[in-house]
Amino acid sequence: MALAQEAASLALEGVGRKPIDLLVVGTMFASGPHGREAILPRLAGVLGLESASGFRVDSSSGTGGMAFHTAALALETGRFDRALVIGAEKMTDRTTAENTKDLSASLHMSEVAAGATMPALAAIVTSRYLQRHDLTAHICDLASVHARAMAAVNPNAHFQKAVTLEEVAGSKPVALPLRLLHCSAISDGATAVVLERGKGPATVLGLGQGFDALRIIDREDLTSFAATRVAARRAYEEAHITRKEVNVVEVHDAFSPFSMITIEDLGVCGPGEGPGWFEKGWVGLNGRLPVNPSGGVVGRGHPVGASGLAEIGEVALQLRGEAGAHSVGTRPKVGLAQTISGIGSHNFVTILGREAA
Amino acid sequence: MSSGVSVELVRCQACHLRFLPRDGPCPKCGSSDCIAFSASAVGKVLAATELHYPATGWSAPHRLALVELTDAVRVLAIVEGPLPATGALVEVQRDHDVYRARPEPTG
Repeated sequence: MALAQEAASLALEGVGRKPIDLLVVGTMFASGPHGREAILPRLAGVLGLESASGFRVDSSSGTGGMAFHTAALALETGRFDRALVIGAEKMTDRTTAENTKDLSASLHMSEVAAGATMPALAAIVTSRYLQRHDLTAHICDLASVHARAMAAVNPNAHFQKAVTLEEVAGSKPVALPLRLLHCSAISDGATAVVLERGKGPATVLGLGQGFDALRIIDREDLTSFAATRVAARRAYEEAHITRKEVNVVEVHDAFSPFSMITIEDLGVCGPGEGPGWFEKGWVGLNGRLPVNPSGGVVGRGHPVGASGLAEIGEVALQLRGEAGAHSVGTRPKVGLAQTISGIGSHNFVTILGREAA
Repeated sequence: MSSGVSVELVRCQACHLRFLPRDGPCPKCGSSDCIAFSASAVGKVLAATELHYPATGWSAPHRLALVELTDAVRVLAIVEGPLPATGALVEVQRDHDVYRARPEPTG
């Protein structure tokens, strides 16, 4: 609640306290025995938005993406002029076991019954990906080093220190082949953005979402996320662009190898070519296509309800030229944010571009 | 060689999809015309993992394997014993709401 309020106040001040007629809040854990019930009317109250309309959304780790899409689609109807979108999560006051259990709620109950957790299924996906492309866990180490290097220059990231390949490879096993530094952390955090009708330096060009089978045993391919491919295709179509016109991307690397899988799913490169982009440094701030200049989920932290919106917010900052030390080399014209729910069962792609107001 | 032990699978009579027993119609075509059949319980490990931070109620290390049975039917099974290598053959048995996998008996 306090995190959400702080982020919202910053966002509202950033637009000169213009009137807001829609409030969309995304949280995953805001119900239950943690004193955070009824977060929507409470936030409306403290932010002075009692006259606005409001929605609360939850799509597990994809919540922030869903919140943004909800607001954008609501504005498109013409019923609202300006929305405040908040994604927030407070997780560190819960035990790891509690967080693990609640995050598992985004998985299929038959797999949870066998003791599956998010890292367990991510490990299965990673294993299949490594096998298919004849790779080793070294490429996961590379992805983590990239994420943490980006986060180290983002003052809003959870992790402010870069890590070495040796530190990643030597970190504690979580769900092999995934180790601690391959996994996103339990974090507290919030993001808020103001979205209004019209055009400007960060304009919504395309939105897309896609579903995939909830249980991983029902998926034909475990080395790619079909929900991302569908969401990306829809977003590119709506934006009337191809991926070649995208200058910066933020992807949802809840586990570091997901960043490689995702740039493949976005069409940046072919299957199995993602690791090469990281090895060659093409995803750095001055690379061919900067990936996760914010540090991504692995480096920025993963307050589940906030991450998807943080991804979109980062792309907006890059387009506006306001990303500071983690600005990409050439100010981008078009950026893309991708968000995953659960183990890829409901994913969101958002494309923003710079347009004349 | 198979140990001769079987596991129950379901076949959709409309689209011929084979899948694990579950509530509801065929997950592919929605047909309710599905019948159970016995298949070999021996399957191939597609991937396996060892959890060092298992969910509440499980002890570490908790091992899980994605196993492919007859007709490409897949199951996420709890591994009994050491972590099997990819490609290893295991025998899968249903145990109430879960499946358990153990190395295929030799001989």
